[in-house]
Amino acid sequence: MDIFKILAIAILTCIASLIVKQVKPDFASLVSLAGGVVILLLLINYISSILDVFRGIIDKANLSPTLFSSILKIIGIGYLTEFTANLCTDTGNSSLASKVGLAGKIIILFLALPIITNLLEVIMGILP
Amino acid sequence: MSVEIIFKIAGIGILTAVVGQVLKQSGKDEIATLTTLAGLVIVLFMVLDLITNLFSTVKTMFDF
Repeated sequence: MDIFKILAIAILTCIASLIVKQVKPDFASLVSLAGGVVILLLLINYISSILDVFRGIIDKANLSPTLFSSILKIIGIGYLTEFTANLCTDTGNSSLASKVGLAGKIIILFLALPIITNLLEVIMGILP
Repeated sequence: MSVEIIFKIAGIGILTAVVGQVLKQSGKDEIATLTTLAGLVIVLFMVLDLITNLFSTVKTMFDF
């Protein structure tokens, strides 16, 4: 199973960054960054299969594709901003991490606006 | 693909540290700083390549 490969890579990355930290402290965060990116890349094909299933469900329920594409964008933004925020805390500047988190939240809210208006229209339609 | 990129970066880090120490001992301090800088730049390029790979994959997959 892939999970063992991912766990092994994470452990090896921690050990490598520990070793490098003694010899060259500024390379340690680079090693952990590389490990993080490798693990995310390994997750990509799982995520794409999940998204294909959702795409099938959305087509079957003949919902509007724009709705689903904005949800996809939101998931992607959450995925990347969480990675970058943790990277910033790793390298020590936690104020930058909170700013990145704030930026991600605002952009996600911006993308969620059409969904909210869509929902309100549906509710208005239902009400007498 | 996955594991050797991490060990490559760790190896370059250790190598630059060792070369820097050797050069410092033999009195050539400015060359030592240059080699450390070169090692850092090489590692940065490798990490940059990884990150652009990740970002382009996510961009195509979540159809940004």
